[in-house]
Amino acid sequence: MSADYDVIVIGAGNGGLASAALTAKNGLRTLLVEKHNIPGGSATSFRRGRFEFETSLHELCNVGTAENPGGIYKLFQMLGADVDWATGMDETFRLICPPEGIDVTMPCGIEKFLGALEKEVPGSAPSMVQVFKLAGMCTQALAAMDEPGATMETVEEKFPDFFKYAGHSITEVLDGLGMPKKAQRIITTYWPYLGANADVLDFAIYSRMLAGYVIYGAGMPRYRSHEISLALEKVIRDNGGEIWYNTEITEILVKDGKACGVKIGDREYHAGSVVSSSYPDLVYGSMIDGEEVPERGVKLANSREIGLSFLTVYLGMNKSMEELGIDTYSNFIMPTTDSAQLQQAATGTHDYSGYVIMNCLNKLIPDCTPEGTCQLFFTTLYYGGWDDVTDPEEYRKLKNDTAMKMIRDCEKAMGISILPYIEEIVIAGPPTFARYLNTPEGTPYGYQVTKTDSFIQRQVEEKSEQFIKDLYFVGAASKRGDGYSSAYLSGIDAGKAILARAREKGGLVR
Amino acid sequence: MKYNYDKSVLKGLSVKPFLNQVKLRNQKISEAPEDMPVSVFNANRLAASLHPLVQHTKITEVTDFGFAKRFVLTADPEKGTSKMAFFRAGQYVSVSLQIGNATLNKPYSICSSPSDALNRENSSYTLTVKHSDSGYASSYILDNWKEGDRVDISGPLGEFYYQDLRDAPTVVALAGGSGITPFFSMASAIADGIEDFNITILYGSRKEEDILFKNELDEMVSRSDGKVRVIYVLSDEEKPGFEHGLLTAALIRKYAPEGDYSIFECGPKAMYRYENDEVANLELPRRRVRQELSGDVTDIEKYGDHPEDFADKEFNVTVDIRGKKQMISCAAGTTLLVAMERAGINAPSHCRSGKCGWCRSKLISGEYYCPKDVDGRRAADVKFNWIHPCCTFPLSDMEICVYPVD
Repeated sequence: MSADYDVIVIGAGNGGLASAALTAKNGLRTLLVEKHNIPGGSATSFRRGRFEFETSLHELCNVGTAENPGGIYKLFQMLGADVDWATGMDETFRLICPPEGIDVTMPCGIEKFLGALEKEVPGSAPSMVQVFKLAGMCTQALAAMDEPGATMETVEEKFPDFFKYAGHSITEVLDGLGMPKKAQRIITTYWPYLGANADVLDFAIYSRMLAGYVIYGAGMPRYRSHEISLALEKVIRDNGGEIWYNTEITEILVKDGKACGVKIGDREYHAGSVVSSSYPDLVYGSMIDGEEVPERGVKLANSREIGLSFLTVYLGMNKSMEELGIDTYSNFIMPTTDSAQLQQAATGTHDYSGYVIMNCLNKLIPDCTPEGTCQLFFTTLYYGGWDDVTDPEEYRKLKNDTAMKMIRDCEKAMGISILPYIEEIVIAGPPTFARYLNTPEGTPYGYQVTKTDSFIQRQVEEKSEQFIKDLYFVGAASKRGDGYSSAYLSGIDAGKAILARAREKGGLVR
Repeated sequence: MKYNYDKSVLKGLSVKPFLNQVKLRNQKISEAPEDMPVSVFNANRLAASLHPLVQHTKITEVTDFGFAKRFVLTADPEKGTSKMAFFRAGQYVSVSLQIGNATLNKPYSICSSPSDALNRENSSYTLTVKHSDSGYASSYILDNWKEGDRVDISGPLGEFYYQDLRDAPTVVALAGGSGITPFFSMASAIADGIEDFNITILYGSRKEEDILFKNELDEMVSRSDGKVRVIYVLSDEEKPGFEHGLLTAALIRKYAPEGDYSIFECGPKAMYRYENDEVANLELPRRRVRQELSGDVTDIEKYGDHPEDFADKEFNVTVDIRGKKQMISCAAGTTLLVAMERAGINAPSHCRSGKCGWCRSKLISGEYYCPKDVDGRRAADVKFNWIHPCCTFPLSDMEICVYPVD
């Protein structure tokens, strides 16, 4: 049986794009197939009137600049993807919790961050210094885990303390460091980016992300995340890869425990490897012949909860951010700073929990909208709870009512006026994400992270959990979980593994 | 590698908790059910019902008004559509047509109330097509569609609908000719209690006999509890009970409420050109004025920046569909979309006005012209050479990649 391609990639989301870019660039015959007419999955944009909205990216960690490049900057450079990065933010986030009387803006830069935290919570700086130091070690250790052939033992040998921290939550480590509670609450503001509260999330993973934002500040592509997707898309094309849009793969061909191709319409396409952005639930549940579905894979999928989902509101304003009185990019507004309580309040209900994140892209990219206007992006989150919304009219009303509450909460917390200046509005609920991402319940976040299913555990078990040979999962449902950076890295992981396999099998094709 | 973090914290920490979690994790997996995972989810089901790629319908009723026809399209369960998708009053659908060798899609506003789509039995949309509508698609529909015919249409599309977080409590609607159709849907939705806002429709026609749906509109006014008003405006005749002339700023002022209001416009291109000046006189903030799509992009000679000496030129366009290439011919004054349709290529398209992006295609090589006022592309699409064939005219031989939905 001769293969039509070396690699067939299902879905042009961040993971699929990165893996296809890497394999195409290294000479493998690559076909990337996307169900929609546009690449990116979450990483796209849309236009309304005179605005072009960012769909989902809040901020990319570890971008940096040409002079001081972070990991993501280097990754895109390595692939040859032409993204014009906007960086240079002077603050990380603004946290507002009216009931607790907190309204604090935390600056970028380690020294400034320490100073601001000490000012807000006297006595907190020494423990924060330790957090940054540990973050340095964790970052290195996590990088070592990504190296080919890495095992728990090899990593432990170089970083003997790493696995002592790896089993602990943010809260456990910060308590151990004696950090005052209020300071803990402030520095864990980013927890929604990783999908679970501070009592659950790995300290190691979180501290790496926090340090990344503090050191490099946020990075955003100048032309919304659609620019990143098209830059990767171009790498694939320029290296002889094919990309088929508006095309759906209905089946993954598996024979004797090995993926060997896909089915499109009634035609089979054979390939050495298959990369799937589709979730294991969908793949096992409906894309693979029943006899070939791995029992342990099914159990793994069944042992997990689907990750969180979102409702987002996009506003095109006919006033500039200065006229509106906005001067920060990421604004986290919440009824309590207790992240476990916030997660609880958002669990099992489609009622709005009062937690809203508001971003104003103009702060980072002043000309991302015409003169005298700006774009705002509001996000709230849900852990399940949308499974009873089935009536289209009820859905429409729920979306509108929630958007209104989110905007009002933001107006109140920031002391500004938004409602009278809305020129364009779009509200996206979990079904909107389901429509564009085709993920379970529209989650962009993969499987829910828990204490017994943490990112690091997933990584340690990775090898034993590739149940079908030559089938690789990428994107949020892979071991790295949610987030743009994680998805790109998951694609690189898959690409590297495929390249290694190709070498094993007798060298690259071209 | 050396790290000088405070080792005293480690006293209470060991590698045991991590190993224990790995154990717990494996235990949890072993104890999980073996049944196939669920692969259909509620949010996905709702998304599919709200945004079907295609809706199969049957024409169940045709009303001939002489100068226009009204078609009721009812869900066709035999072909797999059990219910029409819910829509917002003012949205449109694109209708798939096969005319001779040509394959094309044409947008029409839904003119019925969303409550007709929500009906459990006979869930339907109504479309109205006027003889004066330009283009051969409309002529084809008027000449050929009859009761019992099967018609495939898209899911509901477009953003021309009322949004209470954005729009004023009262909308002054400017309707020109068949531009009444989305407002007819809005008025029905208000009368049915599905939408809640006030609408004052200034409905411009040439003569009284050109007015569509006058009886139905009057009936909606009477059952809308004062929320719907219709003022008929005749340009070519003066009659008692009708306003005379065009939809001027003065006329809008006369019927607009005191204070805040939104203007929604739907009509032919010529009307938009006229209203752009009239509405400017009202000095409303930009967010208070909304226009529906302007239809097929034609008449490039009207655009000053299109190179004049190209008018009669004809170019070769190579169309790459998933690796299979085909050469077609396209005149300088014809959009790439129309050239592909004439060649029988099932190129995707919905709005035909440069806005929706459904026809988005990759430019491989060649020069083109895209009028600025209809260029609805994303910024990165411009950077990476993507085009909207519905508003792109060739200036040289070209090669493009197109992705028909099969």
